[in-house]
Amino acid sequence: MTHEELEEAVPLYAAGALERSERQALEAHLLSGCVSCHTALKEFQSVAAILPFGLSPSQPPRALKAKIMAARAPAAIAEDAPEKIEPKPSLEPGEWMNHLFPPESAAPTWSFGWAGGVAAVAILAIGGYFAWASSAKNATGTAAVQPLQAASEDQTKKVTALQQQLDERDREIARVKDELHQRTTDSTDLKDQLLQREAELEDLKFQFTARGSVPASREPEDEFAALLRVPNAKTVSLNGSDMAKQASGMLVYDARTKKAWLYAMNLPECPNGTTYQLLAIDDKPVSVGTFHMDSGDTAHLLVSRVPEFSKTKKFAVSLEPSGGRPAPTGPIYLASQS
Amino acid sequence: MDASSQHAALHIDPKLLARVVKGDHQAFSQLYDQSSTLIYTMALRILGDRDEAAELLQDVYLEVWRKVSRYDVGRGTPVAWLVTLTRSRAIDRLRARAARAHPKSTDSLDSASAAQVQDQGPNPFDAQADQEIRTLVGGAMAALPQAQQQALELAYYEGLSHAEIAARLNQPLGTVKTRIKLGMSKLRESLRRCWEQGEHV
Repeated sequence: MTHEELEEAVPLYAAGALERSERQALEAHLLSGCVSCHTALKEFQSVAAILPFGLSPSQPPRALKAKIMAARAPAAIAEDAPEKIEPKPSLEPGEWMNHLFPPESAAPTWSFGWAGGVAAVAILAIGGYFAWASSAKNATGTAAVQPLQAASEDQTKKVTALQQQLDERDREIARVKDELHQRTTDSTDLKDQLLQREAELEDLKFQFTARGSVPASREPEDEFAALLRVPNAKTVSLNGSDMAKQASGMLVYDARTKKAWLYAMNLPECPNGTTYQLLAIDDKPVSVGTFHMDSGDTAHLLVSRVPEFSKTKKFAVSLEPSGGRPAPTGPIYLASQS
Repeated sequence: MDASSQHAALHIDPKLLARVVKGDHQAFSQLYDQSSTLIYTMALRILGDRDEAAELLQDVYLEVWRKVSRYDVGRGTPVAWLVTLTRSRAIDRLRARAARAHPKSTDSLDSASAAQVQDQGPNPFDAQADQEIRTLVGGAMAALPQAQQQALELAYYEGLSHAEIAARLNQPLGTVKTRIKLGMSKLRESLRRCWEQGEHV
């Protein structure tokens, strides 16, 4: 329901004309602390409460008062008590008006009331035992009293046990409440994470699109080709050194993925036990990745992350022992213009 | 009626209920004198049967006697609490009766009106304050367009939901909702005068 619909439901609520589900929706809204609906409800309920003054008055039968006054005697209440435990089909009288003011202690009141009901029934039961016990005493003598007293003590223990169970339940409810709170917090965190991931995914999708709808094939060469169409990709060309004058290379850097693609051509085959190593040189050279040229290879593509591309002054490719070295030890084959 | 009825139902003192909480029989007696005509009138209007209204009155006052400690002055005046309790219990009875398909339910309105006409005593509400509120509420209710008054009474005194009223009157649901809403809003405007004079119920 929209707030407007809820607002319109307030006078119907006070007149008692809402369906159960609508009533619950409005009550939930009022519990959420809507001040304007609260104020309106208070006024409309005040109207509803005085409507009977508009009826033509009728006097109750005169004898009724005496009957009611007499019916309040404890014995009459005892007779009535068990039947009052039956659930009432409609709201308790207070509840209809509960939202005049926030029902700050609705649940505890209920649970205490229930405890009171249990205790009252138990006390009546004990009372019954004692009454019976005292009449039995006259009839059968003191010998019969003791089992009855024992029975009543037994009842008392049962009441205590019930109370303890009740307390235990209350504690459990409190625990469950805490747990629920914790779960809610967790789920909020997860939601945040999910949003974060979704944003990342969105970003990746965007990049995917930006690269010109790369076809289903995910060959690095295709990605490289797509990368060349990314508008702000940075390219660095590398020239062959004296070691391999006909060799050349091109390095493309995508700032969004922090990945560098090195396309190296016409490098000589690696001798056994050696490998080419791409170096990013800032103050000192750092290995970015290694690759191998086999006999007959003319070109090789290396894809690797370069986290600090902007700081890098120069890229170079050296020949190193297999597995590479943290710093260059062998001859330089390719180098960019610094 | 005895001297205590000089106090109006509208002005039942919350302190009187506090005394009833403590088991004060005289306070309970006074509460009955101040409120029973209003409560019986309402019970009769809802149930349309004198015997049932009397039974309900007994139920309500016994419940008041036993559960008066649940009354919270922060949530409304004593009379509002009594009226709410009575309406709730009377509608329960009405529904239980409908569930049993009791023949009385069909002519409840007619017999209620008949009973009321017959029962109008020379001076049923003694207190001047109740006379004023009666005139005010009666006048405000009478000033409503007939259709609004009818929809409101079906909801309030017969416990029907707007959907049930729409079905009963063979009117669109939106029309019924609007009638109740407008009726309640007009009553609120008319009665504001009363509240501004410090007779807030």
